[in-house]
Order: sequence, then structure tokens, then C-alpha cells
Amino acid sequence: MEVTKEKENKETKDPKNLLEWGVFTVGLVLVLAIFAYLGYETYTHAPMSPELSVEYWPAPTKAQPYRYHVLVRNTGGETAESVTLELVMQQGSTVIERSELQIMYVPQESEREGWINFSRKPATANAVSARIMSYQKP
Amino acid sequence: MKTNSLSRPVSQSLKEYARGVAGGLLFSFPMLYTMEVWWAGFIATPFQLMVLIVVTYLLLLGYNRYAGMRPDASWRSVFVDSVEEMGLGVILSFGILLMLNRISLHGMSVEELMSKVIIEAMAISIGVSVGTAQLGVEPDDAEEENGEEQDRIRQEQKRGSGKMATAVIALCGAILVGGNVAPTEEILMIAVEAEPVHILSMALVSLVLSTVVVSFSDFRNTSAVLNGNVVFNILYDTCISYLIALAASAFSLWFFGRFDGVSFWIVTAQCITLGVIATLGASAGRLLIK
Repeated sequence: MEVTKEKENKETKDPKNLLEWGVFTVGLVLVLAIFAYLGYETYTHAPMSPELSVEYWPAPTKAQPYRYHVLVRNTGGETAESVTLELVMQQGSTVIERSELQIMYVPQESEREGWINFSRKPATANAVSARIMSYQKP
Repeated sequence: MKTNSLSRPVSQSLKEYARGVAGGLLFSFPMLYTMEVWWAGFIATPFQLMVLIVVTYLLLLGYNRYAGMRPDASWRSVFVDSVEEMGLGVILSFGILLMLNRISLHGMSVEELMSKVIIEAMAISIGVSVGTAQLGVEPDDAEEENGEEQDRIRQEQKRGSGKMATAVIALCGAILVGGNVAPTEEILMIAVEAEPVHILSMALVSLVLSTVVVSFSDFRNTSAVLNGNVVFNILYDTCISYLIALAASAFSLWFFGRFDGVSFWIVTAQCITLGVIATLGASAGRLLIK
């Protein structure tokens, strides 16, 4: 009996009010949720190199009439660093113009956007092609 | 609800949270504004992030146990408060990163968002803990004086665990101060470009700094307690401080991927370079224990 009383005394030495219990609960839920999420990710994580794909489409403005909007998507399991990609404009089999775009990081399961300008109008709609030139492991 | 009348007033909790928020931001704004830290978030594997959370929680427990709360606080309170601080860290990190447009709720993958928030939250939560304890002293009750006296006696009694306490505080200080600089490219740059003589002088300066701070913080008031063996104690404490600072440097550099594919010399040089700052944190951290 005395022991429990002593214990109770100790507990009430730093008693908490509702606000503090609220903050504690929110904190606990957040931390546990983060753990659950990270645990799931760790469990399903497979070492997988970056998997980059490029989408592009004309996005002209008044000042930049031959501008292209470029979207790089990384569906792989790892971040790609220093991604360099190029858009090539061709007429038949001859290359007329090349433009480059550098992106510092494309994290896994993420996308990054940019724009590329050409100096002339592509002859046909499919005269432009894109490719990822290089990237490195962070 | 019978403890309701005994529980702390809400205004006091709010004040504490305000101090915590101020401290959290004060100590971690450099990290919130450093791009290498955001990158570290998405470069780190989920497992590394889990390790980081566990380590941070242990640091919070250690700090709250030995410096952050009253020495007679129960372990239960220490656990609860550490969770509160971590929760505050997560919320603050989310809010600030959103404000800085480093995260966005659409167009950004959950992985990227979560990793950035988590990594910054850990830095903030240590700041929250230190801020709550150190920014301003709360005049508690009439029993404060009595309590302080008791604390002193308890601390004297607990001299055995005193070394442990100092080590934990030093570790927190080293991580808090060194962690701000660890993710930057500058550490690597300094380490790579330094000649051995520079590294040696950095190590010596760290030791001198540590000795100066340790002797002024620890031995000014307690010299009477020592058995005349001041030199031994100063040397001992300096060494412990410096080793802890180096260990903290090594952990943070490893976490930020600075050890990947570099030679042993560069690893050492980086540790020593960061060690200068971490030592100051480790020794200054001990000034906080009062």
C-alpha cells in the first residue's frame, strides 16, 4: 500500500495536463506512423537502379516559340544524380539541332520538369526525339 | 481526473512548447536551409531513416534524463516528453518545409516528401528538447529552492553516473552543433584539399578548445571536490569529449554518405575537420548541464 502511494507521489510530481497528453498522443501517432511506413518500405525495398523515362511536348510562348516542356520520371528504386538529357531535332536522317537539359537530382518514384528551346521550328511533329544521356549514383 | 488539480497549468505547458519551438528552430534552421540535407533525405534508404529515428530518440532520452528535466523526473515522464518532442519536430519540419516550398502535397512522391520531413524533424526535435530546457528558467514554486538543494545533494550522490551524464550531454552537443555542418560539401572539400599538417593542427586546436571549455565549465566550481588530481581529470575529460566528438562526427558523416568510396585518409581527415566543430559542441554541451 505504501509502495503504491510512493509511486503515485512520484507520478504526480510531473503531472501532465490534457494539452500535454494531446501533444504526446499526436507525437506518438506520428512517430508510429512513420515507423510503420519506413518498416513497410524497408520490407518491400529492393535494390533497383534508377529507371528514367522522358516525356516532352511543345509548349510555345510568345518569346520562346519553339519551346518544349520536358518531364523526367524515375520509376526505379534509387535516386539519379546529375541527369543529362537531350532533345534532338531531325529532318529525315540528318540532325539539325541538339539541346541539352541538366537536372541535379531525380529521386526515386519522382518526377522533375524543365524546358528546352530550339532555334527553329521542327519540320514535322515527330521530328523531335529525346534520350537520357547520363546520370550518376548519388 | 483526480490529478487534475495537481496537473500543470496549460499556460505553463504553452510556455514550454514556445520555448521548445524557439529552440528547435534556432538550432535547426541552418539544416532546414541546407540543400544537402534535403537530398540526404531521398538518398537515404528507409532503413537508414529508421536508424536515424532510433538514434535520435535515444539521444532525446539521454538528454532529457541528464539535462533536460528535473533530476527527479520519472523515466515515464522522460519517455513521454521525448515522444512529444519528436512529434513537435515532425510537425514543425512539415510546416517549415512546406513554407519553403521544399515539399508539396501534389506532384511530389510520398517517398520524397516523407524522407525530407523525417530527416529535418530529427534535427528539430533535438533542438526542441534543448530549447525547452535551456531557453529561460521557469521560477517554479516555493519549493524550488528546496528542490535545487535536493538536486545538488542527489547529484553529489550520483557521482558514479556523473561521467555517464557528461558523456550523454557531450554526445548531444556534438551531434547538435556538428550535425549542422556535416551534410555540407565543404567538409569534404576541406578534408580533400588539406595537407596532413592542416589536419594535425585541426586536431590540436580541437583538443585545446576542448580543454579550455572543459576546465572552465567543469572545474571552476567543483575544484574543491577533486583530490588535487586536476591535471588527470582535465586530461581524462578532454579525451572523452574529443572521442565523443569524433564518434558523433563519424556517425553524421556516415549518415550523409561521406564515407562511400573514399580512402581511409579522407575518412579520417573528414572526421578531424568536422571534429573541430563537434568538439566545441561536445564541450559546450557540458556547460548546459547545471
